[in-house]
Amino acid sequence: MDIRPYNLNRVCAKQTRVARFVSVPTEYLMRITPAEITALTLSIKVALLSLIVMFPPGLLVGWLLAKRTFPGRALLNTFVMLPLVLPPVVSGYVLLILLSKHGPIGGFLFQVFGIELVFSEFAVVVALSVISFPLLVRGIMTGISAVPLELENVARTLGASPMRVFFTVTLPLAARGIIGGVILGFSKSLGEFGATIMVAGNIPGKTQTMALAIFNAVQLGQDASVYRLVFISTVVAFVALRLSERSLARL
Amino acid sequence: MIWLNFRKRLGNFTLNLDCTLTKKVTAFLGESGSGKSTLLNCISGTLSPDEGAIAFGDEVLDDAKTRTHLPPEKRGFGCVFQEGYLFPHLTVAQNIRYGQGGALWKRTARLKTAPTELSKVIDTLEIGTLLKRYPNQLSGGQRQRVAIARALAMEPRLLLMDEPLASLDYGLKNRILPYLHHVKEAFDMPILYVTHAISEAMAIADEAFLLSEGQITASGEPHQLLTAPSALPIAQLTGVENILSLPVAFSDKVSGITALQIGNQRIIIPYAEETRLQSAPTKMSQDMPIAIRAEDIIISLEPNLPISARNILKGTIHEINRVGDKTLLSIHVEGHPLSVKITHDAREQLQLREEMHCYCVIKANAINLLWR
Repeated sequence: MDIRPYNLNRVCAKQTRVARFVSVPTEYLMRITPAEITALTLSIKVALLSLIVMFPPGLLVGWLLAKRTFPGRALLNTFVMLPLVLPPVVSGYVLLILLSKHGPIGGFLFQVFGIELVFSEFAVVVALSVISFPLLVRGIMTGISAVPLELENVARTLGASPMRVFFTVTLPLAARGIIGGVILGFSKSLGEFGATIMVAGNIPGKTQTMALAIFNAVQLGQDASVYRLVFISTVVAFVALRLSERSLARL
Repeated sequence: MIWLNFRKRLGNFTLNLDCTLTKKVTAFLGESGSGKSTLLNCISGTLSPDEGAIAFGDEVLDDAKTRTHLPPEKRGFGCVFQEGYLFPHLTVAQNIRYGQGGALWKRTARLKTAPTELSKVIDTLEIGTLLKRYPNQLSGGQRQRVAIARALAMEPRLLLMDEPLASLDYGLKNRILPYLHHVKEAFDMPILYVTHAISEAMAIADEAFLLSEGQITASGEPHQLLTAPSALPIAQLTGVENILSLPVAFSDKVSGITALQIGNQRIIIPYAEETRLQSAPTKMSQDMPIAIRAEDIIISLEPNLPISARNILKGTIHEINRVGDKTLLSIHVEGHPLSVKITHDAREQLQLREEMHCYCVIKANAINLLWR
């Protein structure tokens, strides 16, 4: 079932230009397949999951890098930022080695619990977490280091414990940077390709995210499917960006 | 009572203090870089001393030997800084309540039914109408008043003030100064006031210490300190201002003048609406604080001048000091010391000597009322 744009134009020939402008994407979306919906929900699910899992450690590492000086700080910084500069395929390969049945982490889990990590949904989450972590930490770090130390000191003299200072002064004032980091990390997760395919494969309905589904559809010459997926990706990106801009404007 | 006996190194700079503060309001005077802020940070607990100890009454706050360090949140010292440092994401009411702990999510707080202490703070600083605003909606003077209120609302055992007026312009400074007076009178806790402006120290402090390069170089009452040779660089830096508190003699709206009594002489200032009540016989005793800049006083050897200036006060030259390219005279008018700044040239021409009688000529408009 291959519907090319000009076919659709012929179908809609009697309609006005404006109506056609609206109806063309509608036509595409009407024909969306269950497999494509699965890819979309899976993408959003794993991206959100990796975000939720990585947010607390991201906050901790971002705070450490922004506020503390300790031996090995530069090393930690480089290590955290490494996936940002490495080709995702390389990060994915390293993860594959670590998580596979014969690797140090995957081997342990397989022998003790009998779980196999690679080529599962869990592997996708791990891949996305590693790839998006530097962007998340970057945002949090920028946000937290922009909070004036004086304000935190004033809060201390007003009787607030370091914990209270963090939650009532540092966090609210760093919100812009933190939200920025979250959005960047989330978008990166939505579009991640290289690491995911290395460590989780491209199994439709199981580990096939939007990016992988698009790649698959292009390879198989399913143009209509490609158009739909591209359109949906654009809409998701647009909505995410709008929401984030709005929440930033309110701060 | 506060005991300070400690040493703190920051880079090339060393703060080395050994003093006991016993008065209600103590000022530390010094140029920038003299260690004023380091001193306050050590007392507030933001920094801890390298050697020595800090004690508040019987309580040891810091002791380098036993590695004692009470964290700032356990000290209960209220701090007010030059920039105010209000929390920009909280309303004025939330800022004020921050020091009392508890939830912050209520934007305006029920401050009307607040405990008396809190309403006293709000009344003293007159910020009742600002409670719902955010700090970026406040003027510089309002911001500083809120910062003072925030520090007072936590019911501090000691109030630390780090140049609270330095970022305000001259007129605003003289409007906030009376609030500091109110605070001094309305609240019991001791105040430690750090500044580079001698006039502020004179206006509020009972005792002052002069800080220079991390050392105390002089101490005493602020007026005495002004004449100390080591205070001269500061006097030169900030300009000297005379602050006097004088009773009202009469106030006349028609002729547009208010007269203040200084011994047997009178000082004429522009009519001040606020003196209307004070001029009633029952309130005659209440003093009006005024400020006169040392540069604004002219010295004359003759009393009868055909001149528009309303004030020609007789006095005696008490001291003559050279401050850089200017001469600083200390003239006693009816027992009140007045600092006057003139050029070396003027001093030579008039052949001014100590113990000599002279007249201080002051325009009525050069006298600022330190009253709202």
